[in-house]
Amino acid sequence: MSKRMIACDEASFLISYRTDHRLGFLRWWQLKIHLITCHLCRKYAHQIGELNQSFEVYRHHCSHESCEHHLSPEAGTRIGQSISRELNAK
Amino acid sequence: MADPEGHMLEPQHWVERYGDYLFNFAIVRVNDREKAEDLVQETFLAGLKAKDRFMGKSTERTWLTSILKRKVIDIYRKQYSSRELSLDLYEQDVSDGDFYRSEDPFKGHWMDGKGPNSYSLLPEGEMEQEELARFIQLCIEGLPPQLAAAFIMKMIDEEDSDTICKELGITPSNLWVMLHRARLRMRDCLENLWMN
Repeated sequence: MSKRMIACDEASFLISYRTDHRLGFLRWWQLKIHLITCHLCRKYAHQIGELNQSFEVYRHHCSHESCEHHLSPEAGTRIGQSISRELNAK
Repeated sequence: MADPEGHMLEPQHWVERYGDYLFNFAIVRVNDREKAEDLVQETFLAGLKAKDRFMGKSTERTWLTSILKRKVIDIYRKQYSSRELSLDLYEQDVSDGDFYRSEDPFKGHWMDGKGPNSYSLLPEGEMEQEELARFIQLCIEGLPPQLAAAFIMKMIDEEDSDTICKELGITPSNLWVMLHRARLRMRDCLENLWMN
């Protein structure tokens, strides 16, 4: 692995990667140095953390049937009829 | 259709009890109203066929959701296998070239207007939580399908990486790149929606 400085594209990949994995020392060090010098990637790292928290909120919100999608009445009728047909056929 | 632990299958009530829940589950994952309706119908019919295998260890809703989940994964798998037929298009759709500069000496740096600003992505109150749920759905709808499948399995279904790779038939390296590219787009999309 190269010991060179990394640019924002690699840094942002490592920021994403480290949300699920532990970085090796060299990668960790490269990212640390990059983050010291790059304010945009520091913001990116912060926002990726917030993105993960946003999904916690989302999962909680949508686990209570409060998400806004609903089966249309026509589809409900059609599906109900197909279930009835199957039940009557048995 | 009864079971020793008390859970019973009552297919005549499935649509009114679970129709909306399953539809919501499906549409978030396939981003197509018609396809989601078909999936709900297929789930109920598959449930009827498999009702003798219902052991009653889970609730009706959990059991039906597990059937639907398998059907969604089947759709994802088809997307991934058809992706191989149009690799160029796929690369174009999901690359991260829209975010970084390509010319020296700034190669790999954030493109103007594509880097993050300091605006928070997190909701503050209950009203904003509802807004956030809507925004997340909008942003997922904007993801290329191949990225969306991996991202949804990771972030909404909370599947581990091994399971996602196995289900979608991709390597861990592919998955990490896909999740990275999906996060790039989701962050950008959410920031824009909050700002506007």
